[in-house]
Amino acid sequence: MSANAPAIGQPSRWILPAALALVLISFVAAVFLGIVDIPARDVLSALTGTGSTEARSIILDIRLPRIVTGILAGMQFALAGLLLQTITRNPLADPSLMGVSQGATLTVTLFLLFTVYLANPDSYSVNELPIAWLPPAGMIGGMAAGGIIYLLAFRLDLSPLRITLCGIAIGAVLHAIAIGLIAGWGSARIEIILEWLSGSLYARTWDHALFLLPFTVAGLGMLPLIYRPLNLLRFDAAVARSFGLSYRRQFSLVLLVSCALAASAVGAVGPIVFVGLIVPHLARFLAGRHFPLVLPLTIVLGAVIVTLGDLVGRLAGGPEEVPIGVVTALMGVPVMLALLRRVP
Amino acid sequence: MPLTCSHLSVSYGRRRALSGFSLSMEKGEIRALIGPNGSGKSTALQALAGLIASSEGRAEIEGVSVASMSRRAIAKKLAFLPQQPVAPDEMTVAQLVRQGRFPHVGLFRSYGRKDEEAIAWALESTGLTGLAGRTLQELSGGERQRAWISAALAQEAAILLLDEPTSFLDIGYQVEVLDLVHRLSRERGVTIVMAIHDINQAIAVSDRISLLEKGELRFDGAPKALSESGLVEKTFRVKGTFVEVAPGKPPHFDVELTKLNRSGP
Repeated sequence: MSANAPAIGQPSRWILPAALALVLISFVAAVFLGIVDIPARDVLSALTGTGSTEARSIILDIRLPRIVTGILAGMQFALAGLLLQTITRNPLADPSLMGVSQGATLTVTLFLLFTVYLANPDSYSVNELPIAWLPPAGMIGGMAAGGIIYLLAFRLDLSPLRITLCGIAIGAVLHAIAIGLIAGWGSARIEIILEWLSGSLYARTWDHALFLLPFTVAGLGMLPLIYRPLNLLRFDAAVARSFGLSYRRQFSLVLLVSCALAASAVGAVGPIVFVGLIVPHLARFLAGRHFPLVLPLTIVLGAVIVTLGDLVGRLAGGPEEVPIGVVTALMGVPVMLALLRRVP
Repeated sequence: MPLTCSHLSVSYGRRRALSGFSLSMEKGEIRALIGPNGSGKSTALQALAGLIASSEGRAEIEGVSVASMSRRAIAKKLAFLPQQPVAPDEMTVAQLVRQGRFPHVGLFRSYGRKDEEAIAWALESTGLTGLAGRTLQELSGGERQRAWISAALAQEAAILLLDEPTSFLDIGYQVEVLDLVHRLSRERGVTIVMAIHDINQAIAVSDRISLLEKGELRFDGAPKALSESGLVEKTFRVKGTFVEVAPGKPPHFDVELTKLNRSGP
């Protein structure tokens, strides 16, 4: 930007490279550290395809897939949150505003309920549950909830306030139904739901990473297309339209991208939606007036926060690891409060 | 003709905000829309800008119906500055003004020399070149208003619609904005329609005036004819007289402040 000379003391040059370096560091740390102590040399040989079968299995089949899944999900949650906060002009927006996590919770609950009773009425058959189908089931629910809220708000002209109010109302209903089902269900299978609900990277496989990858790629691929409209969607509708933006079309497109990113991520790792709330704030704080930095910083920090959060959860909990959703919420709240102190 | 509308009517639900409004602008003309609060000035401007749909009649830019044009096509020809627009606090003046080039660059084309020149001109015309790197939060009310005008100028549209551009500005900036409006019209041939509250400013700066009351057009003509019509006093329910300040200059409306009694201590 030629007309926008960088102010002195603004960390605009080094902040993105620093954040990228942080991704690499957290990735390496997450690969090398874990509850099973594997010497660094064995980790390296496992990565190159040699070494003991046990080390190879832990690194290649357990740690790497969960790290990659976490990175993809983190980027998706953070990006979804930024898009939603930007277009609704609501700093407290996260993917649950569009009912994505509540809708996903409901369909995952329904899915488990029905498959269990259709397949096997024995209430202790946890291992036979079709867990591989949870990501698509959750994603469909998330998208459906987002779609319902969109249609309700669309009828009422898509004002950000309407979207927020519709989102809260629909989200609350879906959540209540899901909790009601879970409460009335009461059996060993509840553990699967609870683990999924808290947002977890436990036992995530390459299948989860592969499930997410197309959404991550498509979401990032959409960015050049929505980048300029996103700038204009920060204004209210009258101003954005006066500047030549087809407000309705572009708003809907960005909303769709946001919901698809969030719903697929929720399906794969459960509602770690706090990442979507907190990371954009962190990115905005670091970028200051350099708005063009906010978008890349959000994506990169989303990967970092989830990777580090999961590592902390793995190391802190011992064999009974602390779910990533709990870690991000506990770590995120102080960050959020500190950032909010800047808001008048 | 750059901008016309005929028998334009707009309703919000059951309330009719504008009925049968007609306007026809010459190139480079300055038109003031005056009228009491709620008389339909903003509604008329928004309907002209194609931001709200009309129930009857239509607005046309160079003979083409505004309703049939895309937002980008409209924005290339017409810039509209709403009343008290809102932007994110952390946005800088330069970033705001750059958005004015969106109709020209679209989704993908990078900013060329012509765009940078337009931005530089827009900043300079509003005296903001030195403040380009400031965030809007750091500006005074007058500077912020000028930043918005600057963004509208960066569109390089031949038609400029301004909704109360001088409200909330001190008298110095008010004069500056009116002076800028005058220069745009006379030097660049920009056609300008603005809603404005100050009757004397409307009379001083505009070529023609439209007076609205309860959504209906009460007067359309030259400032001098308006001053002789007695409509201003009637519409605004005030007493006052139009005083000739100097020969050949527009008259000055001197309003009587009857409710005030300043004789006693």
